[in-house]
Amino acid sequence: MSAPSIKGGGVASYPRLRKVKRDDRITGFLMVSPAVVFTLAMIIFPIGYAVFLSVTKWAPGSSAIHFVGLNNFGRMLSDHVFWSSFRVTMILFVACLLIETIIGIYLGIFLSKDIPGQKVLQAVILIPSIIASVAIGMMWIQILDPTLGFANYLLSVVGLKPLAWLANPDTVLQSLIIIDVWQWSPFMALIITGGMRTLPSEPFEAAVIDGASKWQIFRFVTLPLLRPVVMVAVLLRSVDLVRFFDTVYIMTQGGPNNASMTLNVYSYLQGFNYMDMSYGSAIMLFLLLLVMLISLVITKLRGRTS
Amino acid sequence: MQSKRHYIGAYVQYAILAFAFLGPVLWMVSSSFKNNVDITAYPPVFLFKPTLKNYLNLFRVYPFAKYILNSFIIAGFSTILGLLMGVPAAYAIARFRLNSLAFLTLLARMAPGVLFLIPWYIISTGLHLSGNDFTDYSSLILAHCVVTMPLIVWLMISYFESVPIDIEESAVIDGCSRLGLFFRISLPLSLPGLAVSMVLSFIFSWNYFLFALALANNSTMPLTVIAFNFIGEGSADWGGLMAASTIISLPALILTIFAQKLLIKGLTTGAVKG
Repeated sequence: MSAPSIKGGGVASYPRLRKVKRDDRITGFLMVSPAVVFTLAMIIFPIGYAVFLSVTKWAPGSSAIHFVGLNNFGRMLSDHVFWSSFRVTMILFVACLLIETIIGIYLGIFLSKDIPGQKVLQAVILIPSIIASVAIGMMWIQILDPTLGFANYLLSVVGLKPLAWLANPDTVLQSLIIIDVWQWSPFMALIITGGMRTLPSEPFEAAVIDGASKWQIFRFVTLPLLRPVVMVAVLLRSVDLVRFFDTVYIMTQGGPNNASMTLNVYSYLQGFNYMDMSYGSAIMLFLLLLVMLISLVITKLRGRTS
Repeated sequence: MQSKRHYIGAYVQYAILAFAFLGPVLWMVSSSFKNNVDITAYPPVFLFKPTLKNYLNLFRVYPFAKYILNSFIIAGFSTILGLLMGVPAAYAIARFRLNSLAFLTLLARMAPGVLFLIPWYIISTGLHLSGNDFTDYSSLILAHCVVTMPLIVWLMISYFESVPIDIEESAVIDGCSRLGLFFRISLPLSLPGLAVSMVLSFIFSWNYFLFALALANNSTMPLTVIAFNFIGEGSADWGGLMAASTIISLPALILTIFAQKLLIKGLTTGAVKG
């Protein structure tokens, strides 16, 4: 690091005239514009359209528009399936995120150590995260099958009673959490291993020289340095978890008895099975607000470190 | 001596992790080579005479090659488009501290897919866009860019932020333009990030299930949707199901094993570390 560094970064730090800085800003603007235009057309506009749908009564094939005000939102308040979907969504979000972050940090640090065979293991455990959720769903339907599944065979080997897994309202959420943790912890680990490799070695050497214990190094050196990377992983994972859809829709479609119905699945069923696109949109807007709130909290936590 | 004992502990963990994470996948793959008697046997059989019958049936009964091609078209083009839009945007966001724009792109990753799906569905049926293969593929590819582009932006921001500003500063002093900084300095130094973004975005798009579920027709349907339809048919054909899910998993497996080397090599070749 021999270059005389001007700290702070950004445009202001370059030793250039104001005009050049303005040209620089135009270049920056041009660089973001394709992404911005795409976002406006494919994301912002549809969200606006969904807001419009949520205050109207939409019927397939009809072009007549009936404004119904906030009826669709009022209906949510008295819809017990909506409330149970909300509960299920939050349970899955909190449980999966917590377990996946802990396993992700453990795996991420473990995999960044130079132990022979580490690259092979990294590839192997990444496999659940990179396989399509449809394949995940199909393989676990077979494994968790109450009569011939491998899971119940394992239970019988260790002398436990067989479970109905996905077919029982009392065990369906636990089954989905197990599958999600199995599927996504390695993804968290991949991001965290990547972060571990970019960490400077000096703080670790200094900590060793100062006689810090393994736990102290982890708690006071590794974890704070890793925090930005962990927060990115947490943010990416939270955003997907609140919108829990694929494995539920593939394996249970919200059943049995709505016990695994998430908000995302419920609104899809409302929109595309019962063709009530207006009510579906209203539920989705609620879910969007929920996701934004959670992301905002995490982004604030992330910003605090820099 | 110390390190040897250390390794034994690590290898015990290796074995547990490999069993836990790979076991279910191996079970799926092995089941896809079982005949009907072996696959429904209880207790499960581990040794059996393998058969290719399940795979041959897929290609004989369904146009499975067509579904494979569809998945490639959708995932490939949405990755390319996502990189073209996302990488320059990520650079500008990282260097100009455009945090509000970062939030805008994040909105795409935060919003639940059904929220877009309902308006897209109404608009595309209203404009009679469906029915033509070109428009059907295009709308699926654009829809999948909602998955790929924000992912690429968010991964690339942190890679660009890790390129030391010192290097860019010396280049500016040497008269390098902003685009020159991007193409000659930051992008080459972020190649590992580009590889990670490309691989993850292709895989996410290949795996993405929801949009095609509602938007694809019989001739543009990707593997994920046809496989889901197999479950829906409620057939007791476990072998066929497992063969289909193995085929869906195969390209992603090959790609990640290949990209794993690239990824590790890229990440260890640090830029300014010295």
